[in-house]
Order: sequence, then C-alpha cells, then structure tokens
Amino acid sequence: MKNIWILTWYTLKEALARKVFIFFFAISLLAIIITAVIFALSSNLSITAGGMKNLPFDDPVTMIEMAIVSPLSSLCLLLAIFSCASFVPIMLEKGNIDLLLSKPISRDHLLWGKYFGGILVVLLNIAFLVISIWLIISIKFSIWNFSFLTIIISVTFTFAVLYSLMILFGILTKSSTLGMMMTYFVFIILSPLLFTIKDKFFTMIASSFIRTIVDIFYYIIPKTSELLGKITTELVSGKSIGNYQPVLTSLAFLILTMGISISIFRKKDF
Amino acid sequence: MSLNAIETSGLTKVYSSSFGKRKVEALNDLNLTVTGGMIFGLLGPNGAGKTTLIKLLLGITFPTKGSAKIMGEDTADYKFKSKIGYLPENHKYPSYLTGGSVLQFFGKLSGMDGAGLDKKIDEMLELVQLSKWKKTKVKAYSKGMMQRLGLAQAMMNDPELIFLDEPTDGVDPIGRKEIRDILIELKNKGKTIFLNSHLLSEVEMITDRVGILNKGKLLREGTVKELTEKKEEYKISIEGDSIEKLPSELILKINFRKMDNEYYSFKVENTQELNNTLDILRNNGIIIKEMVQQKNTLEDMFISLIKEAEKENVQ
Repeated sequence: MKNIWILTWYTLKEALARKVFIFFFAISLLAIIITAVIFALSSNLSITAGGMKNLPFDDPVTMIEMAIVSPLSSLCLLLAIFSCASFVPIMLEKGNIDLLLSKPISRDHLLWGKYFGGILVVLLNIAFLVISIWLIISIKFSIWNFSFLTIIISVTFTFAVLYSLMILFGILTKSSTLGMMMTYFVFIILSPLLFTIKDKFFTMIASSFIRTIVDIFYYIIPKTSELLGKITTELVSGKSIGNYQPVLTSLAFLILTMGISISIFRKKDF
Repeated sequence: MSLNAIETSGLTKVYSSSFGKRKVEALNDLNLTVTGGMIFGLLGPNGAGKTTLIKLLLGITFPTKGSAKIMGEDTADYKFKSKIGYLPENHKYPSYLTGGSVLQFFGKLSGMDGAGLDKKIDEMLELVQLSKWKKTKVKAYSKGMMQRLGLAQAMMNDPELIFLDEPTDGVDPIGRKEIRDILIELKNKGKTIFLNSHLLSEVEMITDRVGILNKGKLLREGTVKELTEKKEEYKISIEGDSIEKLPSELILKINFRKMDNEYYSFKVENTQELNNTLDILRNNGIIIKEMVQQKNTLEDMFISLIKEAEKENVQ
C-alpha cells in the first residue's frame, strides 16, 4: 500500500510539473470567474423566502444549479481525460519502466499507483471547481444545497471508469493519443448514442438480433450519459438514485478493464 | 560472500513479432554463475543479448525457458529486488525532478524513508560529486552527470548486487576513473557488480571475471588472465647484442622472433622446455633482463573470438 501511495503522490507531482494540473486549474478558475461575474451582474436575481414565491420553481437555487451541472460535469470530464491520458504511456517509456521494474514493487502496485494518481489529480481539480461554484451560488442566494457537491463524486466516478479504459489502451499501445481518442469516442459518441437508442428507439427496432446487439453494447459500454446526466441530476436535487444499473454496470466495466490491464501488464516484456 | 549472486539455468528468451511469424532468439540456453563479491563483466557485440540477460535477471522481461536466481532467490518474486541496484542504459528520469528528488523517489520505492533516506541521499550525491546539483532539475544535467546520478540511484538501497549497463557511457576520462574507483570500492565492501560495457579496456581494468556473449550464446567465461593469456609464449628482453652470441642453429631451434628493440619472443610446449631454453640462453652467455608471459589484450581476444564464432555460423 505504501508503494501505491508513493506512486500516487508522484503522479500528482508529475501532473503539476507537466503543467497539466495548472492548465486544468486555469480553465476551472476561468469557469469560476465567469460564474461569479454573471451572478454579480445579475443583482436582481435574489432569492429570498418572499422572492421565491414569484418564481416558477419549487427550488430555484437547485434549478440554477441544475442548469450548471451538465456543462460543468462535461467540461470537468473533458479536461480530466486530456490531462491524464499520458500518465501510463510515459511510465512505459524505455528507460523509465526499466528503472521502476527494477525496484521491489509489484507490477500491480505500479499500475494502481498510476490509476489512483490520475484520479487524485482529477478529484482535486473537480473539487476546486465544484466547491467554488457551489460557494458562489450559495453565498449569492444564502441557500446552502450540499447535494450540489455530489457532482464531485459522480464526475470522479465517471472519470475513474473512463480512465481504466485509457490505462488499458496505454498498456496495449503505449500511445496517449489512441487512449485519449478511444475514451473521447466512448464518452462523447458511443455512450450517448447507445443510451438514446436504448431509451428512445429500442422498441422501434424490429429485429430481435439487432436488439440483442444493442443490449450487449449498451450493458458493456460505460454509461457516461446516464452517470453525468440523470444520476448526477438526481443526486444534486437531493433525491436518491432511481436506477442503480448504470452505476453497477459501469463499475463492472471498471473492474473488468482494470483486471485485463493488470493481467496484461503482469506478463508484459519491457 | 559465499552465496552465488547470480545463477541461471538454461535461460532462453525468444522474442516473437506481433503475429508470431518472426522469432528472434535473444538468449539461448544460458548457464551462468556469478559468485558473490566480484566484478563480473559481460561483453558482446550489439544485439548479443547482454541487456536482455539483465532484464531477465531483473524480471523486466520474462524467460521463454529456463530459470534464474539472484542471491539464491527466484527472480519470479519481485521482493528480491530490495537487494539489488540497477543502472539501465539510456535511463530516463522524470525531467521535473531534481537530482535529490530522483534519489528520494527511487529510495522510497526501495523501502527507505525518513532521516535515513535524507542522509543517504546526501551521502550518495557526495560520492558521485553531485552535491552542488542536488536542487537542480535533471533536465539541466549533462550526460555524464546523468550517468553519475544513475550510479547513485543504483546504490541508494545499499544493494548486495548492482547491475550496470554501460555505466561510463558519455562520461569523460576523469569521470570514468572516478566511477571505476567507486566500483572497486564497492567490491572491496563485498558487493557484487555485474557490468555490461563496450569499453573493453575498462572491463579489463576492473573485472574479476568476464563472460563473452554473442547471438545469445555464452562463448567464453573466465578471469581476464585466463582469457587473455597466450599459453607458453614468452617475451624476453636481452642485454645488448648478446643474442648474436647464440649459434644460429639454436636460434632456429628455439624459434626466436625478434619483436622490437631488445625484445624477442619464443614459444615452448611446457614449463620443462621453458627451463631448458633458459638454460641454453644462460649457458651461451646471454644476459636476460626481463621475461614476461605473452598476453592478448581483451580486445584482441574478443575480436578473434567473435570472428571465429561468425565463421562457424557461416559454415
């Protein structure tokens, strides 16, 4: 465990040194400043007990937060994928991996260290962004919706699932570009597409064979659309999660992908 | 140290291309034993399998067949690595780290911590004369400085066995001498050093035993003396022109070959014949100033051995 922590910590240092963290931080800061300016300029947007009666929402603060959730979580994830894509390929470079593997540390720990390191980088940045925006909204309206902070968990979890895919591609190809492309493909195209087909058009598909194929893909591929969409919305609005299937199948994907990565990495010649 | 530092048995490594169509035998049935407390030099042309052997011994690459033991422990278990140090060829350190933090990182991975680690970092940087550069990022280091830092890194955990792959690569002559001195000092402390180097003269200077690898096969192994000695061939230095005192039939019989100045060489079958020859020379009034057994340089021997192996392969 100690070695995993050392590698996690040094991955964070690597992110800081390679300006990845600073870039992520700068974008987050920009988003925070824009949010703060918008709210500062909207002086009439003051929600008090009396004022709330004039608005068409039961909980207008939550509504404002909800409007922010989707772009915010998507932005976080886009940046997170970009910033962590090269961690494993750089570790596997000749001259670097030889040294690491010559130390009394198991290959599993090496991989977990990089995995948790990436997650820590993303967690810190997302926490900074989400907490800052939450503070701005909460101070502005004097209403403290702690459920908003659950975005940190849902985005980090979604990233953890996608990062496992980046690690697998990193080990197989030693290329950060391929890993990043594949992950963006799953996040931006495949997952939303499968979700839309399953949600809107599934009953329209006449062929049972195609329905089975869609089903297989839908259950295998991580459900980033639902994780960042419906489930995050439920969490932010303080409701309990209605359907755990996207969480559980995505978790299964994470476990399976990391299992395959570890299995390949254990036997790989460098 | 009586324990064997390295033992390999039938160690074989075959690399396959992605689709398994092309196979390259990097190491072929290698049986090698390196006893503890010595400097062992592994020589071989490019592609001989030297780095593959080190990688197999360190568990960086896995054998196709055979097995290896380091300090009596199976290389399949990574825990043996706490007793070893490694300086790879073309090693890379994260460019954002300073010399001190490189040693701290690898020291921590080797299980070191706290004040002991800090003390060791200073000690190692002092040893390789990089103390002044402790807080400088490694991206500003020269090749020679990187090699010295690599050596410090390999010695951080006070290892019993140190693998060095081209340790003096890019190092100036003074730096090379300093590295040699460090290696000799380590040997005197009972450490075992396994050295891969292209610099044959350097290997000749410091190694106790040498192995010559070509195309994955161990061609020869022995002490530098054993490998370089020309059996029963001697060089003598004779005072003045006293050789002329020797009857010509004796010159022919002894088969003298004039070398340079007053030096002559001759070959004998055995020690008895050597003594008989010396008796003949003395009885004929020849004053012998010096006599040494003829030697090849390691380079001569290496080149002829590799050429022989190439010829055999062609045949």
